[in-house]
Amino acid sequence: MKRIHGILAIIIGAVLAISACAQQATPTAVPEPTTPPTAVPATAVPPTEAPATEVPAEEGPCLIIGATYGGPIMDAGYNQAMHEAIAAIKENISCVSIIEAENVYDEAGATSTIENMIAEGAKMIFATAYAHQYPALGLAEKYPDVVFEHVGGWEMGANFANIFGKPPDVWYMMGVAAGMMTETNKLGFVAAFPLAWTDVFVNAYALGAQSVNPDVEVIVGYTFGWGDSAKEAETTNSLINQEVDVISMHVDSPQTVISTAESRGVYSIGYQNLAAQQFAPEYWITGQGFTLGDKFTWLASTVMDGTWEPIFLRCGLSDGCMAIAPFGPKVPQEVVDKVAQVQADLESGKIVTFAGPIKDQDGNVKIKEGEVLTDDAMSNVDWFVQGVVGSPK
Amino acid sequence: MSLLALLGVLSSTIFSGTSLLYATLGEVVTERSGTVNLGLEGVLLVSAATGYGVTVLTANPLVGVLAAMLTGGLVNLIFGYLIITRKANQLAAGLAVMFFGYGLSALIGKPFVGKLIKSLPRYMFPGLEDLPLRYTSLFKFDFLIYLVIPMAIFIWWLLYRTRWGLSLRAVGENAETAYASGRNPGAIKFQGLFVGGLLAGLGAAHLSIAFTMNWAEYMTGGRGFIAIALVIFSKWHPIRAIAGVLVFSGAVAFQLLLQVSGVNISPFILDMFPFVLTLTVLLIWGGTRKHSAPATLGRVYEGTE
Repeated sequence: MKRIHGILAIIIGAVLAISACAQQATPTAVPEPTTPPTAVPATAVPPTEAPATEVPAEEGPCLIIGATYGGPIMDAGYNQAMHEAIAAIKENISCVSIIEAENVYDEAGATSTIENMIAEGAKMIFATAYAHQYPALGLAEKYPDVVFEHVGGWEMGANFANIFGKPPDVWYMMGVAAGMMTETNKLGFVAAFPLAWTDVFVNAYALGAQSVNPDVEVIVGYTFGWGDSAKEAETTNSLINQEVDVISMHVDSPQTVISTAESRGVYSIGYQNLAAQQFAPEYWITGQGFTLGDKFTWLASTVMDGTWEPIFLRCGLSDGCMAIAPFGPKVPQEVVDKVAQVQADLESGKIVTFAGPIKDQDGNVKIKEGEVLTDDAMSNVDWFVQGVVGSPK
Repeated sequence: MSLLALLGVLSSTIFSGTSLLYATLGEVVTERSGTVNLGLEGVLLVSAATGYGVTVLTANPLVGVLAAMLTGGLVNLIFGYLIITRKANQLAAGLAVMFFGYGLSALIGKPFVGKLIKSLPRYMFPGLEDLPLRYTSLFKFDFLIYLVIPMAIFIWWLLYRTRWGLSLRAVGENAETAYASGRNPGAIKFQGLFVGGLLAGLGAAHLSIAFTMNWAEYMTGGRGFIAIALVIFSKWHPIRAIAGVLVFSGAVAFQLLLQVSGVNISPFILDMFPFVLTLTVLLIWGGTRKHSAPATLGRVYEGTE
């Protein structure tokens, strides 16, 4: 009896230990063991013996691409959008090989994960999470022959570039739709943290809404976590209790926010991924998502033919980098038409989202008459426009 | 601040406090038998993931709730095996169970991330049907919310009005004496853990299936530890646990109300408010504590073999 207990205790102990480790190792960096490494391993030792045992080139993939994600790739949100864009490379260029790692939360994890990918022969890295920018930048110096693309950041280097969509203009269009749909003139916005980009999105959303409905207010509530679902539900509820009747969000996965809004009979506008629509069959207005697959494919092809250059790339709806979700069943045709017209005006330059004069919440002029907020100034925004309720920092 | 906003705080408190109250009640039962389960956070996570997964697979939230309950009970039995049968240190084993829960829940929940579920149906609070639409959605609750206060009373009855409760409390106060009077402390501690696990599972089910309608890794966000703190706050009493949960969840809802009504305080500070409040109340109550904790809480029962 004692022996059985002893063995059981060891088994349970082992299971405990394994699962404790498993949560660190959830990144599914399953480097396909079948692919022969085409490059010298990461040791960076001069390849003295390499020529002797040349790996047959036609067997290996033409390019190994590593991609890191900050969360689960099926989150119906940002990470899924990034994963779909990476998968599009493989669809378009069948000879590439992809190594993916999801749930890479922190900077230390990003560094070791990317190093592992490079050791597996990756010549191109897509670091898609906010927290992966500096780890990737550090590794770009260490591995000058590997091309790094970070999504949504601002740093640049000889072999390190940045790519992102242009959400502000699309947020302006979302604001137009929300401003026309609201009856209480209060729009709710669930945000993770008071960050510059979140402030920019809220501002664009508010300006769009005010362009069709001057009385509209945007109320912002913070959850202080990119994936704290319970806090997201609480924040959504408290916004709805402030008589908000349209909810939008800037968190990793829109699932909880949209489901909660739907369960309370409140409209929602999605962000990050078009798949968000499934959570609001009835009260969905519209949403925006990233569709970066074609641009990622193009970047990979330039790496393959050796013409890759570090470009600070920002591309919007008209470039196919972003897309608008279908409108929901309760949205009248005039709203659909108006949004389409605003989109045309934004593309032709007739409307500029951040064209002065723009005042902040306290009435200080932030953008003067005749000036516009430039793309690189957007990462320093720490103010909300008039008509936004909440703290921008 | 409108009436709607204030009623909203009440409604938010009820919604978000339900899972916390179930978890706290579970920990009250467990601790009454002399066991501290620091692994509660992990138990909640595993139950939440399992409940969500089963709901996706069966398309029936009730089956999901049941699965979450059983999972909670089961994980607590593993913990019981470590600390009762193997006589491991309770605090260390509890922390191990917590990390175990982190990993296991991530593994269980992974295939169900981003999946749509059918949530628990909500029913209007009786007598409020005639309110205007904006108010009615505040008071439409699922059955787990309606059950939570009766459950607290039931647990009180179980602990203080039944022989089983008497044995459980006796074991928590002094296992040797309970043994001398013909009880089996080990078996009773196991029962306490199992009941505690069922309740934790109910709380977790409400969190993932009814409240957030989502599974995300580490979604409990420390609620397991808050529940353990609330047990001390409520002096190991199921009815006082209701008050503890109301204070904490009310504070969360209230700070969100302040945030979204444009009060000129940094949201970072507002976000800390519920924790500071809980800490303050604990400090004030700590001074007057006498004989409220089970006497052998946290101690390993060495048995009389």
